[in-house]
Amino acid sequence: MKVRRLLFAILWLALIDLFIPPVLQRAEYARYETGAVYRFENSDLFALGPMVRYLREHPRGPRRRTIFLGNSVVFGYGLETRDALPAQFERLAGDTRVFNAAVNGSESGDSYLVGKAVIDSVDTLYVQLIPRDGARPILGTLLPVDDADARRFALDHTDPVEAKLQSLLGRVWRLYAVNDRLQAALFGTSARQYLYLHKRELLLAALGRGRHPVGGQAPSPVGPEGQARRLSPHREGSALPRTLLDLADVAKTHRKRLVILDFQQRVAAADFNAQYAPYAEIVTIDVPQALRVDTQHLTPAGANAVAAALVAHERERAP
Amino acid sequence: MIFTELRFILLFALCWITFFAVPRRWRNATLAAFGIAFYAIFAGPAVLGIVLLLTLAAYVRAPALLFVIALIVAKIPNASWVVPLGLSYLTFELIHIVVERRRGRIAEMSFTALLAFVFFAPARIAGPIKRFPQFRDAVAEAELSGDDVYAGVLRILLGLAKKFLLADILALTVAESQYASSMRQAWMVVLAFGLQLFLDFSAYSDIAIGFARTLGIRLPENFNWPYLASNIREFWERWHITLSQWVRDYVFTPLGRALFGTRLRPYPSAIATISYLVTFAIVGAWHGLEPRFVLWGLYHGVLLAIFNLWRRYVPSSDSVPRRALGIVVTFFFVTIGWVPFFLPLEKAAHMWALMFGLAH
Repeated sequence: MKVRRLLFAILWLALIDLFIPPVLQRAEYARYETGAVYRFENSDLFALGPMVRYLREHPRGPRRRTIFLGNSVVFGYGLETRDALPAQFERLAGDTRVFNAAVNGSESGDSYLVGKAVIDSVDTLYVQLIPRDGARPILGTLLPVDDADARRFALDHTDPVEAKLQSLLGRVWRLYAVNDRLQAALFGTSARQYLYLHKRELLLAALGRGRHPVGGQAPSPVGPEGQARRLSPHREGSALPRTLLDLADVAKTHRKRLVILDFQQRVAAADFNAQYAPYAEIVTIDVPQALRVDTQHLTPAGANAVAAALVAHERERAP
Repeated sequence: MIFTELRFILLFALCWITFFAVPRRWRNATLAAFGIAFYAIFAGPAVLGIVLLLTLAAYVRAPALLFVIALIVAKIPNASWVVPLGLSYLTFELIHIVVERRRGRIAEMSFTALLAFVFFAPARIAGPIKRFPQFRDAVAEAELSGDDVYAGVLRILLGLAKKFLLADILALTVAESQYASSMRQAWMVVLAFGLQLFLDFSAYSDIAIGFARTLGIRLPENFNWPYLASNIREFWERWHITLSQWVRDYVFTPLGRALFGTRLRPYPSAIATISYLVTFAIVGAWHGLEPRFVLWGLYHGVLLAIFNLWRRYVPSSDSVPRRALGIVVTFFFVTIGWVPFFLPLEKAAHMWALMFGLAH
């Protein structure tokens, strides 16, 4: 009798599994291709792997694709999702889908690995210049990386036997294979992180006293435009991190546009810009202190001003 | 989590099939072989070699001191070269073997049976701490039973739910400890840690017990609603039960007996106090060779010693209000005690100050 119950439970799982592909397809389309602003919840890494896999499996979307990579400055530390630089860029740029794939504490090595993984699935990469070349070891388990990069950054790796077993099980049990993608598509992070972040709203919604946190986000009031200084792509200074040079080579090889955002480092840009034009470019951005909450992070108005300046810069250089 | 790795599940599935397919007399060899494979895969050949040597030492009745030294070495902070997969639990089990053989309570023991006991994979990660006679009998008597498989699978699922649906979400609140700046936040974080630790640890026990149960082997229970204990002694009868019983049998009782042979004989309360303090200092150190864990252990030793004195003068009562009050008071003191368990001492001091409104 009890064995029969176990078999019954397995049958239920098999039945549920039939509905997983269409559910995942709808959830991912809603998350990655529609107008809702895209950013990792709480700046965690959970959704990075699923996002990269989605982009690699769907190299073309309904709109042009732009990805922003960097640390908390680009992520929008202290800002609502809609007020961060990438979201404001998306609103101002028009017909482009923007992925805010910045994660707090990232270094240029992280951006290099993510950028390289999605290079064929995006049109433009905006990468924050961070003077450190490090990469998080866990990226080795989240992204497709080649052996050379795995050695170069001493990345973690899944045991090959475990990976093979996971692949085999994933072929017969789709929910097992895509559970992280489903969570990332539904919540923008892991289900547990989502529950933790929205526990109050969820509780109030359950009690009928609040709005369920899932749903579209209200448009942000657009901050004062035109406050950003002119972008000046020809300043001289320190050297570009090695990983960003390598990413520029990747962009050039794949004929994609890479814009390196130099907020503070003042690297020598002239030779680089000449060498990599029209594929890669360093732009130096001066943000007045009034548009920053501290020495680095932008206010909503600061993010808006930088976004406006970047959009204007792209329009200037476009024929 | 090793339990959810497919390599572990596949290995266990093969072990399960073989266990019931082979004649009964080969069962120990089956458990030993798969357990050794488990150690080789998840801990590497070096640790496997150490564990095999320790097992051999236990078999030839090496002094218990050897295992204490092994345990201390395994617990040295930052000694990553040891990689002790369950070595704390293992050494306690081996000390039990050595002591009980000396006492003559384990008369016959084949090396294969010892290997099966030592390398029993489900209990090797985070306990429960087994006893050889019960385990040997359970293996010999295990029958293939749908009821056991069903109960085992349910127990595994319960453990996974506790771990992934509850403990891991609470862990996110615990991670807020670095930002706690008010009394409310401090209490929220510490309460979350107390619940998380219980759910996480008992989840591992549930899963271990569940895997063993599918084989028809009953492992000892490790938790019994510890936060419903109405006094600190009862708490330790409900929290990490197999550890409590181990230290009772191999530290507290022998130490108490030894002290009775000294000039302290007329002072049983003093003997109990010393025994509690020494025993729980060891319990603390077993969790990690750091002052904060020893402090946590001594704190519980003091609580138990005070409770022991209290019980001498105030008779126990089973009245509902008294029991309810006891539950609240016990939970309060246990919760306060968790602070050095998850925070370094200087941060723990700040957290205590926040909890009691002495810091901002």
